[in-house]
Amino acid sequence: MLKFLIWPIVAAALVALPHGLSFSQQEILVFLTINILVVSSYRLLTLTGEWSLAHVVIMGVGAYASALFSKELGLWVPVSMVLGAVTAALIAVLLSFPLFRMKGFYFLIGSFAAGEIIRLLWKRFRDPFGGPKGIKGIDPMPDFSIGIYDFDFFEPVSYYYFAGVIVCICLWLLWRIEKSPVGLTFHAVHWQDKLAEASGVNLRAYRTLAFAIASGFAGLGGALLAHYVGTINPNSFDLDLMVFVLTWAIVGGTGTFYGPILGCVTLTILNEVVLRELGFEQMRPLIYGAILILSILFLPNGLESLVQKLTRRRKTA
Amino acid sequence: MFSKFRAPGLTRRTFLKSTAATAAAAGLPGAALAAGDPIKIGFLAPLTGAVAAWGKPGLDGCEIWAERVNEAGGIDLGGTKHPVEFVAYDNEYDPAKARTGATKLIREDGVSFIMMLGGDTWPGVQPVADKTGMLFSTLLPSDLSPDTTTLIAPAEVHPIYNVTGVDWLAENRPELKTAVMCAQDDALGLPSVATYLAAFEAAGIEMQDEPLLFDPATTDFAPVVTRLLSGNPDIVCLDTCYSDYVHPIAEQLFQQGYEGQIISCTADFYDQMIDKTSKEFMEGFIFQFPDFDDPALNDPRINFDDPNGFYAEYNKRFPGQWGAVSWEYASIMDLWRSAAEKAGSADPDAVLEAMLADGTGKHAFGDAKWWGKDLFGIDHALVGDWPVVVIEDGKATIKGFRNIPAWYDKHGDLLVKHMQAYDQMWDQRG
Repeated sequence: MLKFLIWPIVAAALVALPHGLSFSQQEILVFLTINILVVSSYRLLTLTGEWSLAHVVIMGVGAYASALFSKELGLWVPVSMVLGAVTAALIAVLLSFPLFRMKGFYFLIGSFAAGEIIRLLWKRFRDPFGGPKGIKGIDPMPDFSIGIYDFDFFEPVSYYYFAGVIVCICLWLLWRIEKSPVGLTFHAVHWQDKLAEASGVNLRAYRTLAFAIASGFAGLGGALLAHYVGTINPNSFDLDLMVFVLTWAIVGGTGTFYGPILGCVTLTILNEVVLRELGFEQMRPLIYGAILILSILFLPNGLESLVQKLTRRRKTA
Repeated sequence: MFSKFRAPGLTRRTFLKSTAATAAAAGLPGAALAAGDPIKIGFLAPLTGAVAAWGKPGLDGCEIWAERVNEAGGIDLGGTKHPVEFVAYDNEYDPAKARTGATKLIREDGVSFIMMLGGDTWPGVQPVADKTGMLFSTLLPSDLSPDTTTLIAPAEVHPIYNVTGVDWLAENRPELKTAVMCAQDDALGLPSVATYLAAFEAAGIEMQDEPLLFDPATTDFAPVVTRLLSGNPDIVCLDTCYSDYVHPIAEQLFQQGYEGQIISCTADFYDQMIDKTSKEFMEGFIFQFPDFDDPALNDPRINFDDPNGFYAEYNKRFPGQWGAVSWEYASIMDLWRSAAEKAGSADPDAVLEAMLADGTGKHAFGDAKWWGKDLFGIDHALVGDWPVVVIEDGKATIKGFRNIPAWYDKHGDLLVKHMQAYDQMWDQRG
């Protein structure tokens, strides 16, 4: 019974959540929602054992593509968002040809180089990418009404509901993929690659598939960001943000589906709300860094290990 | 039943309703400040990260400015005095965080005015400015366009003032005839390149080569400098390079035996550059940002209160941290204060109207005019004189003030030509 009740309760809590927050916290909630999609999609890639440093740049590909589709071709924003995600997935497929000739550490460095090449292309070509200043005046999501609620997408609450629905659908899809035979194969590619290959699994094809799917969802995250903020530039998708994504994944833990989400939510609240409210505006990087080091020292399996301990205790009780 | 869930959207009216409480403390339209209520000013700039050098020293300068004003009784609005306080938000030079910060400062903190560095962060804030009518300032007038009706650039008109350094150089060292230039390929570097090209052309100085644009991620400047020096130029121009580039480039110029003239927009922490090179090497280095202990700033036309005292206090509290922006935000506050006192209100509309009233304003370096329609599409940049600074005997010294509009009246067509070539005119951006 509780199992059936838990999802409606969670849904109601998520609907009510922004109304208990301040204006700036509502803004942070929008970005947090988008970041949850980015970090969750990143975890799908890590299932195959590969850690990429191009994930945030691929998110940028989705953002740039969606912005250009709507701005230059005049496409309806929701359509341009979907096409942005598709473009990101296609670019990932193209990148996979050189990148998946490498593994492990070499793949990590290769992905970083590939990502930087894409960022340099954005900077170099003012037409169409806007050069170093990027693209401004990106079309916002068009307002609409569903009778009981008017969606004004300048307002963070409206955009949170919109992005929240999209992200929830994406998370469900990611979860379904992970639990499907394809997802199980991803695990096999990571943990038993020789055995999987001997069983007829095409390792490179599955790595490419994971990379493309993860990139598609990251691209959608980028598109959601672009149409909310209204501006993007090459620095919006630099290594700094990639380090944050890695940190969320590592601190949260990548053993479970919810681990990276937990890391993202906890660290974002800590960095953007708690430390700012406590008046540590300029000391945030220092304190944030210290907390990271401490969490890695004392929680090597991530925050998810705490949840697992708690649930185990409850079961034994 | 569901009417309470309808989101009417933020308009100027709903914004004022939603911030009624804070508005009362901020002097927003329809909500007068009570006597003694503090006037809150937003400071929305990078305080951490790579661009913090153009945010944090400005906030430090503002704190000194606020203390001075509050000690003198505060800001006089219609006969009642109000203390001033700054509310800072670190936007990390990120447009999304800048949007969040603007929302917080306006809708939660109830500020009357927001100062920004601008640049990449302004486009993220612009929708908030449009919806709320809040008055913003930027240090980078390239943010200006006909749409930015509540944005002003009252402190520096980067990069247009760079023409004054070249103008002074051509007049004082007419024997120098050839120049080379390097710059980082970004939103600060490119308009500055166009400006220096126009200034060199106007001065009859020949460019030996196309400007050398390097990627902002560059860390090894030896090849850059080697290429610059390959034609044995009379002048090396460092454009608006960040101090993280100016220092290693100067060091490389020194190591590769360059003995000619150097000109740059900034020379932040030049004492460290002297330590890395030599006093003799840095002698004659031209840039645009004075130390405020310079006696030339005691001239009656200067509109910055006690610059020498401000500099001394700043250095006492933040030794070795004086930079290009240390005084700029404070000078914007001088202008804002005078407009607010004239309007008798901290209301953004009233202050802006008072500022622009007769088309002139009191810039830190003298009386100036609101200008910029040709270049920025709107007369929201305060332009007048700008100092030319030369390092002499290890110390930055103002060699004179040059008038920017006077230069523009003579050579404006050159500037427009080069700006267009680099896609930097307001109608070519974004």
